[in-house]
Amino acid sequence: MTTTAPAAEAAAAPDERLAYRGPIQRLLIRPEIGALIGAAVIWVFFWAVTDVFGTTAGVNNYLDVSASLGIMSIAVALLMIGGEFDLSSGAITGATGMLVVLLVKEVGEFGGAGFPLSVAIPLTLIFALIIGWANGTLVEKTALPSFIVTLATFFILRGAKLGFAKLFTDKVIVEGLNDAPDHGFWENVFGAVWIRNDHVWDSFLGGRNVVYGVLLTVGALLLIVGVLELMFQRRETPAQARMPVAVVGFAAGVLGLILLAATDGTSDNWLWGIVLAAGGAVGMYGMGAWRYERRADSSAAVNLTGRVGRNVAMGGGAIALGVVLGLILDAESQTEIGFLLTVQGFRAIAYAGLIITGVILLLGAARSAGKTSARTQLAITSMAAAAIVVVAFIVQSQADSRKFRAEFFAVIIGAAVLMLAFGVLRSTFVERRKPDAVADKRGRTLAMTGIAVAFTGLAVRLMWATTFENETIRGEVRWRIAVFYFIGFAIVASYLLLRTKFGSWTFAVGGNKNAARQVGVPAARTKTILFMIVSAAGWLVGMLIAFRLNSVQANVGDGNEFFYIIAAVVGGNLLTGGYGSVIGASIGAVIMAMSFQGIPFAGWNSDWRFLFVGAILLLAVLVNNYVRAKAEAAS
Amino acid sequence: MKKFRLVALLASLVLVIAACGSDDGDGTSTTAGGDTTATTTSDTVDLNQGSDLTFHMVTHSDDGTFWSVVKKGMEDACTAVGVNCVWSPSFNDPSKQVSDIEAAIAAGSNGIGVSLASPEAVVPAATAAVAAGIPVVTLNSGVNDYQSIGAITHIGQTETAAGNGAGLRFNSLGATKVLCAQQEQGNVGLEERCQGAVETFTGAGGVVTQFVGPDANPEEQINTILAALQADPDINAVFGVGPIVAFRAVEACSQAGRECFIGGVDNSEDVTAAIENGEINFTIDQQQYLQGYATIITLYLNNTNLNTLGGGFPILTGPGFVDTDNIAEIKALVAAGTR
Repeated sequence: MTTTAPAAEAAAAPDERLAYRGPIQRLLIRPEIGALIGAAVIWVFFWAVTDVFGTTAGVNNYLDVSASLGIMSIAVALLMIGGEFDLSSGAITGATGMLVVLLVKEVGEFGGAGFPLSVAIPLTLIFALIIGWANGTLVEKTALPSFIVTLATFFILRGAKLGFAKLFTDKVIVEGLNDAPDHGFWENVFGAVWIRNDHVWDSFLGGRNVVYGVLLTVGALLLIVGVLELMFQRRETPAQARMPVAVVGFAAGVLGLILLAATDGTSDNWLWGIVLAAGGAVGMYGMGAWRYERRADSSAAVNLTGRVGRNVAMGGGAIALGVVLGLILDAESQTEIGFLLTVQGFRAIAYAGLIITGVILLLGAARSAGKTSARTQLAITSMAAAAIVVVAFIVQSQADSRKFRAEFFAVIIGAAVLMLAFGVLRSTFVERRKPDAVADKRGRTLAMTGIAVAFTGLAVRLMWATTFENETIRGEVRWRIAVFYFIGFAIVASYLLLRTKFGSWTFAVGGNKNAARQVGVPAARTKTILFMIVSAAGWLVGMLIAFRLNSVQANVGDGNEFFYIIAAVVGGNLLTGGYGSVIGASIGAVIMAMSFQGIPFAGWNSDWRFLFVGAILLLAVLVNNYVRAKAEAAS
Repeated sequence: MKKFRLVALLASLVLVIAACGSDDGDGTSTTAGGDTTATTTSDTVDLNQGSDLTFHMVTHSDDGTFWSVVKKGMEDACTAVGVNCVWSPSFNDPSKQVSDIEAAIAAGSNGIGVSLASPEAVVPAATAAVAAGIPVVTLNSGVNDYQSIGAITHIGQTETAAGNGAGLRFNSLGATKVLCAQQEQGNVGLEERCQGAVETFTGAGGVVTQFVGPDANPEEQINTILAALQADPDINAVFGVGPIVAFRAVEACSQAGRECFIGGVDNSEDVTAAIENGEINFTIDQQQYLQGYATIITLYLNNTNLNTLGGGFPILTGPGFVDTDNIAEIKALVAAGTR
């Protein structure tokens, strides 16, 4: 979402130490990009192996789980960027939830204070802020590691929760929040539920799917055009005569995409796939011919020797092997071949693994070839794109579910076209090497608008049901207000971190506290406020839990601090401080929720759950590390 | 005076041990042996009648809602037969439990009821009590160790029996596929509950076991049960192997739009209310009142009549069921502190 944000800093400072970075590079060094790739991979994986994961009901399920986790991991990420930890962040959620219930209980009944919620809720917030302030002040005054100080707070809260619950109610659970007189109003604030199955949208403009499809396509188109604008060197005067080529090409591509998605994946599929591919490629080329400066002819011939040649051979071989395995192994066979794998499972893993490896090898080879010969780069890119298209057609012809025949097919073809078109453009037109204020602004605006439009499309998809979907969804789609708090908090916190003075202070104290103090950053105050943000977020989550359940158990939230930190790390935040992102932490929370919820959706044995989570964590950190190292080395 | 009483108690103990020995020696003819015991230890029987007996209950109790019912059962039994009872909760501290057992041996207890939640720590002390000639009964936990320490019997509910009971109950409700929802991973007791249900459930779809997230994460529990239901349209029953997780299944089933049969283990206020509303079909009750009551009665009868209740086998106090039919009465009994 904020992928292009650092562009502002780069453009505003014409310093020779700040070499110009292209938009792709700038994108890759963002902390959240590894998490974004990881989230996409996990989503596609579970979407492919389950029935429900990709439906509105499935999305509703894991977003619901990610809401509390995400609100906390955002706050924890801010604190981590500021260089500290808060191990009491899990316990505070349960503590505030219990406190608010005890405060509204009738006087005399289980030690209740008998306050209305309008008094009890602010009091609970004050309690949370005091805990956060105490954490921050203790860490600052004693100079002890926050790890130790907040561990003590954690134990104190944990003991107090159980102790007071037993003391007042003789039970390990406090119940009866809904007895409060003003419960109705506050339930709308913290416990509102929006059931969307009864909001059916079949008829307007031919149905929800059309609106969703158009918004998503227009968004993608704007994003592509925006990225092109950021990537390439503008011509002095645009060749207006070429404009129609771009427009017609893009129009044909969009038409092909819509018609392809509208088929159930049979007869017309091939035709629309070709229309999509040809239209998209022509549109992008036309865009280049219209607006960008043509590259001086590169005379270096195609050269497939040495390391590049080896990688091409290996990549091509891997793809070929994958295709052959995919064709000879029985896709339906449940015969066990050892280590918990059936032939079907082995085929899926080998197929996907080999082809993905092959494509990555080819793209790597294309990248290194690009340094010497643009033609070689284009040739290899075309090979990769062709391989992807072949695989797409094989999947399409073998699949028996609509999602593979139509949706997956369209996405793969689209990806191959994008890859090829970018390859062609890069070998034909000049890539920009310096800032261009007008093009930067326009490109950024287009790209951001595209992302916003595409997200609107997704929201339309999630917020309205169709009659068809209602018949196939198993159960109700209940959007809880918690999800909206999560999204809202992500936006607010991201703004706070990237666009305010306080955000810069946060990075500074996390990077080097003494240096920050010497340049005038109020380090102690910044850290204390960060601790208070964490406990305030804990208060919000405590309220959300209390209003959802009406009762809070003494152990609610204990141990969750661990998962908040994991989500932040998966989202690209460094444990050492000074680096990270709020959006990354949000994506990290969604990744955690998807990995947890994907297992029951797939009907797998839950004994393997933590093995799976561990693998995802490791993979996310490795991808993050790799991508960042590559992107920084390239600049 | 006090010293005299101690001597009398010790003397009676010696006699009891002698009686046991003669009983064993008598061999096969039970009627003859019984007669002999009755005649030879007649004055011992006199001595042991009434308030001279003192029994010790040394458990890992935390004196919470569960154990307070066990304690109530003990007190009621002691009043009924007129003996002295000492309640020594260890609050899950095995070392305190061990020293309490040693204290009971030193005090010349007439019988000890002990729970073996931490067998490796407590078994030696319990064995020492048996070696000192004190009748021992294990209660609540200890079904795997009561024979090796030489206890009369074990009084409690095995987890497998609880699962068996739930499986049979789901059969009679007409369930066809059960989700066994666990709130902890790698907990032997919870695994046995699910396994017990697998053994007796006869529905076409069988039982699938799934870890659904810890009690500390209520939202995750609800959504994981929901995901399992959405992924498998055949599941029409949920067996939550704890009171919290069973209650979470209510919301999950409602959101999944499915008429589920829901069963749980143990009780809570939420579960009671849900059973009253018909949202939960039953919950398994291990009737812990019996664990206090029957332990005292077993020890009492062993002291006064040399009976070995259970015949060397464990005595099951459950599964008892709380369901819509008996919830009203049960609620009154819960208020009275005996359920």
